[in-house]
Amino acid sequence: MPRPRFLLAIPAWAWLVTFFVLPVATVVYFSFGYKPGLFGTHATDVLSLDRYREALSPTFFTTFINTLRVGILGTLICLLIAIPMAYWMAVKVSPNRRVFLLALVIVPFWTNFLVRTIGWQVILAPEGWLSGLLQSVGLRDGPLAILYTRPAVLLGVVYNYLPLMILPLFVAFDRVGPALREASKDLGADRWRTFTQVTLPMARPGIIAGVLLVFIPLMGDYITATVLGGARGNMVGQLVASQFQAAQNWALGSAMAVLLILVIAVTVLVGAAMAYLVSWPFARHRRLRLADLPPAEART
Amino acid sequence: MTDAPQDPAPTVPTGAGPRGSSGERGRAGAVELIGVTKRFGHAVAVDRLDLAIEPGEFIALLGPSGCGKTTTLRMIAGFEHPDEGEIRISGEGVRGVPPHRRHVNTVFQNYSLFPHMNVAENVAYGLHQQRTPRAEIRERVAEALDMVQMRSFADRKPAQMSGGQQQRVALARALVNKPSVLLLDEPLGALDRQLREEMQIELKLLQSRLGTTFVFVTHDQHEALSMGDRIAIMRAGRIEQLDTADEVYARPASAFVAGFVGQQNFIEGTLGADGLVHAGPVRLRSTRRTETEQVRPGRVRAAIRPEYVSLGPATAEGGPTENSVSGRLAGVAHLGETMQFVVEVPASIGTTSLVSRIPTPAAPSVRTGTTVTASWSSDSVHLFAPDRAPAGTATTDPVPS
Repeated sequence: MPRPRFLLAIPAWAWLVTFFVLPVATVVYFSFGYKPGLFGTHATDVLSLDRYREALSPTFFTTFINTLRVGILGTLICLLIAIPMAYWMAVKVSPNRRVFLLALVIVPFWTNFLVRTIGWQVILAPEGWLSGLLQSVGLRDGPLAILYTRPAVLLGVVYNYLPLMILPLFVAFDRVGPALREASKDLGADRWRTFTQVTLPMARPGIIAGVLLVFIPLMGDYITATVLGGARGNMVGQLVASQFQAAQNWALGSAMAVLLILVIAVTVLVGAAMAYLVSWPFARHRRLRLADLPPAEART
Repeated sequence: MTDAPQDPAPTVPTGAGPRGSSGERGRAGAVELIGVTKRFGHAVAVDRLDLAIEPGEFIALLGPSGCGKTTTLRMIAGFEHPDEGEIRISGEGVRGVPPHRRHVNTVFQNYSLFPHMNVAENVAYGLHQQRTPRAEIRERVAEALDMVQMRSFADRKPAQMSGGQQQRVALARALVNKPSVLLLDEPLGALDRQLREEMQIELKLLQSRLGTTFVFVTHDQHEALSMGDRIAIMRAGRIEQLDTADEVYARPASAFVAGFVGQQNFIEGTLGADGLVHAGPVRLRSTRRTETEQVRPGRVRAAIRPEYVSLGPATAEGGPTENSVSGRLAGVAHLGETMQFVVEVPASIGTTSLVSRIPTPAAPSVRTGTTVTASWSSDSVHLFAPDRAPAGTATTDPVPS
């Protein structure tokens, strides 16, 4: 008797339900509640959409926009840095040195995320060594004033999430293999056209994976923003955290978290639609229909 | 560094006609390799190779793996660059010309179709690169797919097709560009036998219809013999012999060629002043002119093809006769149109068994285990000097055709 196929999926489902479906459902449930008093964190005896109204106040709205800007910009910068780097590692570097380079990409992960980010605080501080160096070389008149600004946050997130972009892209480029690039060149395409018409389209699953791996956690990140952005680097993740921890208002924090999830989902969908729209003319240019062409006998 | 090939002046072997009049230009489809050497680290993959391919010729590069045949092909395509020597395509030197600017197309061993494009888009790829007008692309793609009978698969993705179908598409994708030279890198290697034999015939027909120069790399002698106008047998980066299938088979230039193309019985012996080869108890006489002249008295290697060895009942005990040897019949195999007999012979002649192949209707009915006499005529005995060092003075065509 054949064993039912779903048996293999049970651990995955159990994991998903316990650590994703139930917590998110709880958060959604809490978001309809309210903060009962100074010492209570949440109550759900009266359900309403009031927390969402609160969350969408102008201050919060500005933070959402800022988060979105950092998220999109950070992902794009990661993509622009990672594409040439991953391509170089997968195509140009000899296999022996490739292992070493991959290790270099991964090694920062051995250190705690927070510690690495604080490291940037030290570097970017107005009295830090980078500031001193720039001033002594004459590139800056006053001390470096980048810490606790949005560019510092952007720099921090690009630094923290770049490996998550490089690794899937590397795998994707590596899997294209030299044979197809040679076939493309053999058929008259130069290096650039081979890249845009063969390598890049074939690496698409890897690019999508990298973009999602970077964009989604980046949108929810609050450590980088707190450490490097201070008050001006406000991101939604910080707001959510402060509602849960400082303000002890779980209901409002939950509403913000739910809004964040929705914003991420909508952004990903819009991004996918835009990517499709951009690639459509190219695909159309390439498309070739022979169905309406008469068969050979009829044409001769 | 156009390293002029040293003496002796290389006689670039050509198949048809004198080369002088045919000039340097206007020879679309001609391929010349002059003293080409390619090293990978310390390993010499191609060693001072000379090869002249006539326009419209079907050349098979045949050799064991590692003989440099694929490297030679990749240098013509432009994927590898010779360390020394010169390559000319259609009369023009191609040093420094990248693959995408050479009017040469390749059919790759593993087809290398683009998986993200359907069949029609794959075939159109080369034309798109040349910015061919859309209407023309459509016409030519349809024509190319008709040529390989794959028109009805135009909308399929490569993954939805069998190896043989992918192979046809790869062929169409290369030929649609109307290259001066088509390079084929073991294109039939991954196909099963029956399909491979069908494709061999189709390729040959296609080539003679199009008149395109085909350079076909293979390690399969049947493939090379059945398709090549001429066959270049390669070994250790050099061409051992460049000739028609008939010549290569009937007049191999070296023991290596003799053994690599078709089957051979090799007998080791000493050529005496009497003109006989003494191999243990056996005496061989060869009446083949060209080979005998090359070979000096001393150690020699004699080669006799199985189809020239006939079997008879054991002769009465006595002195050894010329060109025959007695031994126990160790085995009989039915190969369809021929029967193969294996005779155990004294090891002192340099081999332990002699193979005889006789057309089935003419095959004698002899039982395994009985003693038989294998004999052959003196004009079927080829003599070769003992195997030369591969890197040494490899002979090219000894019999200019």
